[in-house]
Amino acid sequence: MGLLRSPRVHGSRLEAELAATIAAVATGAPPPDFASWALRLFAHQFEHNAPYRAFCERRDATPVTVRRWEDVPAVPTAAFRHVELACGPAEATFVTSGTTDPAARGRHLVPSLALYRASALASFARFVLPDGVRLRALFLVPPPRLRPDSSLVRMCVFVADALADGAEWFIGEEGLQVEPLLARLDAAERNGEAVLLVGVTAAFATLFAACRARERAFRLGPGSRVVDTGGQKGLARPLSRAAFVRECWSLLGIAGYHCVNEYGMTELCSQRYDAVLDDRFHGRGLLPRRLVGPPWLRTRVLDPDTLAPVSAGATGLLCHHDLANAGSVSVVLTEDLGRTIGEDGIEVLGRAPGAVPRGCGLLLADLAAS
Amino acid sequence: MTAAPVLDFAARLETARRARARLATRPVAATVRALAAAAVRWREDAALARALPAASSLSPEMIAAVLPLAAEALDADAMAALVEAEWGSGALERGVPPGAGLVAHVLASNVPALALPAIALACLAGAPVLVKSGRHDRLSADAFVRALAAVDPDLAATVVTTYWTGGDLEAETALEQADVVVATGSEPAVAALAGRLGRTVLAHGPRVSVAAIGREPALDVETLARRLALDVVLHDQRGCLSPHGVWIERGGGLDPRDFATHLATALGELARGLPAGPAPIEERAAARSAREEAEWDSEATVIGGDAGTVIYDDRPRFRAGAGRRTIRVQPLDDLAGLPDLLPVGAVECVGIAGADCARLAPALAARGVSRLCPLGRMQRPSLAWPRGRQPPLGALLGRRGPAPIQVEP
Repeated sequence: MGLLRSPRVHGSRLEAELAATIAAVATGAPPPDFASWALRLFAHQFEHNAPYRAFCERRDATPVTVRRWEDVPAVPTAAFRHVELACGPAEATFVTSGTTDPAARGRHLVPSLALYRASALASFARFVLPDGVRLRALFLVPPPRLRPDSSLVRMCVFVADALADGAEWFIGEEGLQVEPLLARLDAAERNGEAVLLVGVTAAFATLFAACRARERAFRLGPGSRVVDTGGQKGLARPLSRAAFVRECWSLLGIAGYHCVNEYGMTELCSQRYDAVLDDRFHGRGLLPRRLVGPPWLRTRVLDPDTLAPVSAGATGLLCHHDLANAGSVSVVLTEDLGRTIGEDGIEVLGRAPGAVPRGCGLLLADLAAS
Repeated sequence: MTAAPVLDFAARLETARRARARLATRPVAATVRALAAAAVRWREDAALARALPAASSLSPEMIAAVLPLAAEALDADAMAALVEAEWGSGALERGVPPGAGLVAHVLASNVPALALPAIALACLAGAPVLVKSGRHDRLSADAFVRALAAVDPDLAATVVTTYWTGGDLEAETALEQADVVVATGSEPAVAALAGRLGRTVLAHGPRVSVAAIGREPALDVETLARRLALDVVLHDQRGCLSPHGVWIERGGGLDPRDFATHLATALGELARGLPAGPAPIEERAAARSAREEAEWDSEATVIGGDAGTVIYDDRPRFRAGAGRRTIRVQPLDDLAGLPDLLPVGAVECVGIAGADCARLAPALAARGVSRLCPLGRMQRPSLAWPRGRQPPLGALLGRRGPAPIQVEP
């Protein structure tokens, strides 16, 4: 894909070094040391990202005063709607979905796509393809020509190039292309072909409704799997997680442990995934479902009043510290409410009331509105 | 709920219907007197005042401040005026108009004591009434019926109070017996209820209020700031009458940015006497998000801290409220442009100072605003408030709005 390979070197040497470190994890190398990288990146961002530096200085937070990664100031996601937060020229600019007002869209300027690629692929491989299988990818997201500014779409391109056995896209300008998708699933079923279905939850809901309307259920090849993202956003009617997984089994023949939910956001270069498949593959099948990220992404749950961490399992605002955001800002305070689960997981419980609608779950709504 | 309590419930409703029928020819004036007397007794209910703070998540000081406001809405003169306004001169000396069936109120509990106007309006309309309380105030309705029983047991017998957890389908069957269902709550909750009942529900969904200050001379900035701060603080800004934004007309004696500073000071001073109650995580998160965003917005300035947040915003635009005593102050070239800023159906009340209410009323009414009042009185609606632009009594008899906008002097 032309989108991926650029002759220019983008981003700083620091970002290139981190991208190489993350890419090496797949070959057994240790992950980046979080605490030391966090402080190095804070110094880098403080020096090269002027709006962020001003924000930090108002809090008396400088590379001299900040000694712990937990003390690196967090930027709210809303800040991405108002200023450009980048440490250098952007190789790509990703824009949030969900509102027709351009001024209300968040813009994440990413100086190095190589780092985004390294982080996204490492997590996708670990949580979706722990068995190393290469499957044909059927994407229920818009193709890059329709949404070149979507970070989710770009991630799908990465996956198609590096981890899948080719890709097909089933969302057009009019939304989900139901008939071609059903025909493709029909062919996969007849051939016993295992496929990788990746899309926004709302698109899967549309697919399920189409199956029900036609009284058509598929039994896709063994090893087929579903990756969905976006949750309830953009859904015409509520679809619980349990109901989603049930529909995957009833209508696609894909078992629950092959249904992986992804949690990502435009402002982050790393993602969290439902650990169900990774757990199963590594003999941890009794652990609860939870969203787990790579070692270079840590999430704290904070009290909205004090921004201090809440006690384990209590609800608070999710604050992500993503080393792969090296070229912008690493610490992002979201408007998402959630809680920790176990040592490594989180659960997303909803959004702060009044928060601007956003998220890849609204990609379909965007197309309908344009 | 088991079968036996359902039957018991049906019996209670039948008893209320019969009690109401016995009062058909009684002059409405007697009902007015009884309700006013009951409100005075209810206001003095020490047990209620002790229990409500924990139930409602408001501070004891706040409860002490708002209970009298709920009681004063049942002022005898105001109720009498309402009856004559809707049913004509001499209506007080006659019995209630025929046609009232069982009214069921499904109450929210974002603010306490919503049961009082619900019961009073039904009684004035001549309807037996079922009141299903909200989760955070299961006390006020029973306390009021006790007070009413002490002054007028016959009228108290027309009221049935209850509580069930939202979505309890078996308990909800009680609503099927009602001729009119009035529901207050979130849009999804009210829509789900209407769907389950398979009928129209007179719904009062989430709305907010705003304020506006014109350029009339001789406005005292500190007085206005204190009045508006009181409107913000009462009920911890959880009610539909709580202001979330104020527009200051340019060219008058009031500098908008200066007013914002005074408002922040006033919020701080009021918080000492009316401390905030514990807020749910969602409310705290929304307020945090609003503050965080304003800090990054080049056209906004955050003023004030723990006692409430004032956001000065150079752009005259409507923004959804964040709550937790957060208010946006914005300049506006001409208050005549205010109605155009308000989304239709989103704003319940506009508190006004320094401007001609009568001039603004028609355009604000066209946006669905139901009430205009002076600053400092936004949380003190009378029973005549045409909430949701519905006639307070007529709506209970099936006469739907829109009612005229209420303009308080």
